[in-house]
Amino acid sequence: MTPMIKEKLITRNLEIENLYKIEIYKKYEGYQALRKALLQMTPEQILEEVKKANLRGRGGAGFPAGLKWGFVPKDIDKPKYLCVNADEGEPGTFKDRFIMTNNPHLLIEGIIITCYCVGIHTAYIYIRGEYEHVAQRLEQAIKEAYKNNYLGESILNTGFSLNLYIHRGAGAYICGEETALLESLEGKRGHPRLKPPFPASVGLYKCPTVINNVETISNIPIIILKGGEWFVKKGLPKDGGTRLFSVSGSVKNPGVYELPTGINLKDIIFNYAGGMKEGKELKAVIPGGLSAPILKAEEIDIPMDCESLMNANSMLGSSAIIVIDNETPIIDVLRIIVNFYAHESCGQCTPCRNGTWWMKNIVKRIFEGNGKVSDIDNLLRIANNIFGKTLCPMGDAASMAVRAILEKFREEIENYIQGKE
Amino acid sequence: MIKIKINGKEYRVKENLTILEAARQVGVEIPHLCYHPALEPEGSCRMCLVEIKGVPKLQLACSTSVKDGMEVETDNEKVREARKAVLEFLLAGHPLDCPICDKAGECKLQDYYYKYGLFEDKFEEEKPRRNKLVRIAPNLILDQERCILCTRCVRFLREITKTEELGVFNRGKESLISVYEQELVENNYSGNLVDICPVGAITDIDFRFKMRIWFLEKKKSICPICSRGCNINIHFLPETFPFKRERRVYRVTPEPNPKINGYWICNLGRYGYHYIDNDRILVPSKRNENSEKLEEISWREFYEDIGNKIKVLIRRKKGEKIGAVVNLSLTNEEYEILKVFFNQCVPQSEIIVFGKEKGKADNFLLTEDRNSNTRGAKKFGFVEKKIDIKKFLSNKELVIFFGHEITEHYAIQFLSEILKSIKTKVLIASNKGPLINLMDYILPSCVVAEKEGSFINCEGITQKFNRVLEPLGKSKSEIEILTSLAQRSGIWRNFLLYRRTG
Repeated sequence: MTPMIKEKLITRNLEIENLYKIEIYKKYEGYQALRKALLQMTPEQILEEVKKANLRGRGGAGFPAGLKWGFVPKDIDKPKYLCVNADEGEPGTFKDRFIMTNNPHLLIEGIIITCYCVGIHTAYIYIRGEYEHVAQRLEQAIKEAYKNNYLGESILNTGFSLNLYIHRGAGAYICGEETALLESLEGKRGHPRLKPPFPASVGLYKCPTVINNVETISNIPIIILKGGEWFVKKGLPKDGGTRLFSVSGSVKNPGVYELPTGINLKDIIFNYAGGMKEGKELKAVIPGGLSAPILKAEEIDIPMDCESLMNANSMLGSSAIIVIDNETPIIDVLRIIVNFYAHESCGQCTPCRNGTWWMKNIVKRIFEGNGKVSDIDNLLRIANNIFGKTLCPMGDAASMAVRAILEKFREEIENYIQGKE
Repeated sequence: MIKIKINGKEYRVKENLTILEAARQVGVEIPHLCYHPALEPEGSCRMCLVEIKGVPKLQLACSTSVKDGMEVETDNEKVREARKAVLEFLLAGHPLDCPICDKAGECKLQDYYYKYGLFEDKFEEEKPRRNKLVRIAPNLILDQERCILCTRCVRFLREITKTEELGVFNRGKESLISVYEQELVENNYSGNLVDICPVGAITDIDFRFKMRIWFLEKKKSICPICSRGCNINIHFLPETFPFKRERRVYRVTPEPNPKINGYWICNLGRYGYHYIDNDRILVPSKRNENSEKLEEISWREFYEDIGNKIKVLIRRKKGEKIGAVVNLSLTNEEYEILKVFFNQCVPQSEIIVFGKEKGKADNFLLTEDRNSNTRGAKKFGFVEKKIDIKKFLSNKELVIFFGHEITEHYAIQFLSEILKSIKTKVLIASNKGPLINLMDYILPSCVVAEKEGSFINCEGITQKFNRVLEPLGKSKSEIEILTSLAQRSGIWRNFLLYRRTG
């Protein structure tokens, strides 16, 4: 069955060659939204459109972007900052790289409009260290934008100025957590901060700071061009627009798919991604990056939006879909998950640091054939003891991911421990 | 003031407090490891989680501010379970080598397990191995296995000393505290790291493996090493210790006092306690005129010998032949007696004052002035002045030296030359020192820890202190010595009169 062609927003001009070059980008409506925003709209009008668009954060937490911007104090004598989260560390996620590589000016245009709306004159893109060539491409695009007076002093002669910098991370997952990102950007260890205060009031260098994901910001130009009401119709009333789904695992066509928010997961896997690889059957799906609790094959008839997945005790997260086939032992999945969290725990707070390490050791013992059935309950107990007690959401993520696997695949793990096939 | 409820009871507390501080003020203990009142909250140990009515997740008491009408539960089922969970995580990664750990007995982890834990050990994996002997400072050893990563030490060096010698390295369970590139922690406050470490991760080389802390008793005192007057606790073996006491004092720790020293003391004060037990003068002695050797005498003999000499000189109206060399480390009460004795009862007697040589101030607690009571001495008229020492000493027949301070100002050879002309030279001092060989009488006095009295510190704050230890050997306080001497010197009536009238 051929999938229905859906309308694309972020990836709409992607088939155009060399779109990453500014002269090409400009030919296809590039920087038109910026002109409209800076020359015809007030910051208040922009904020109004973004709020109408019901644009929810694409980084994982799904917080409404308009609301977030609204929290930034207006009359304050401190500088304000925008930090674009391009750390993209959630396993299974590769959509931000896709945007930044193929359409870097879309992101830059979104950044400038966002900064104009919130009253920001300095913005940073915090990009994960591994994305070296992506960072280079962004650097190039930023240079072009400066040359064309889209960045720098008095953009389009409006008097509004903005400087944009790229900061490359050093390979820690935790730096994708917004406050750890700020610490890292300030040159410190990437440790999450205590909240409150929230970054909107006390952020980078103790100044009000907006932190948004690459994909979130990349949606801004089209919201300005077409309006918030138009945008919201492309998705769900409370969760507007499309999403970039990173599909990986045992499917025929892994890749990035831009589809309306709320599209059925089954549809994504079996239509857009071409279904399971030859001879494999679906066993489970991790629907929103590694932190999202796993869904069993029979649970995948579900709309991909924040609320539906939350109701299914999972989450949309970064919309990264990891498809697991029936030949993959669940113990392998579990081992990869606990190893990942133990390796990436920043080590700051007790339950996450010692809890993930403890779970890793138990799973290792089970994997090596020295497990006991009672280990499963102990693992569940440990996961429960981590939950709700950590400094940042990573502890909860580790806890939920492990708990879901243990609860949904208990029998398989018990059989593994007892040496049964 | 705002109203809050803690465990169902209503309290009125100040605004701008955290839940932990407010609870502490009304006497409710919330366990914590990374929180320290002098440091910025870190919120990483997760021991202080409490339930706030209307908030679904447990919240940190150490960093959540109280609000009017807030209802906090610090000891319900949910909170107790969370605490247990955190303790279990901490103990899972901990070596549990309490039997050989110096912190045992005052370890927060140990105390909290007994108070809030008492769960069965479900940890069956291998314990992590780390370096147990990291020399992080000339005076400190870090045991990375015992460390629970509360980062109090890192924050102390960042926020208080601003020297930042320690940092956290690696990530996750591999995280550890260490120094950068072998640069040791070398500041005058490094000893405080031992006190603020809630477990036995940082131990003091001076104290390590010397004594189990449950044998020790502690009493408050004042540090006499400089003019700051830091409040301290002296930890000593009581006389009831069932085995042989090799020494009495084992360590000195700060006693918090926000007006003077906060929570800290400097290393000079911390490690400078050995004089209390070492090199003490233990008995009164007198130099034999023939053999020139010191021979033990009784206090009575001394009082009679010197009392008579004073009596005779007064009777012959030769008070100017009597001199006293006073230091700046006596108590206010002792200065008062000195004033009565020499200025009022022995007419024309002369007093000169010598303090210890100035040291370097460190811009925090340690002052330039290394005398414990310069301001107190001044109050009673004892002030260091430039004088002609030769002239002062050359006409004297009897001089009483309080302490060895004069030798910090004049070469000993020079002193011994000009002292020859003086018939009777008396030293009253707690410890042995360079003056001993030049004296005819040597009397043991008490150290500060064996006295009670008061000092006035460099900022003019008067602080009383009590006796911590019994006087060593036959030592007596200067008050006792001067009072007995007054009785034998024929000045008793005047002495009593002036003491009463001041």
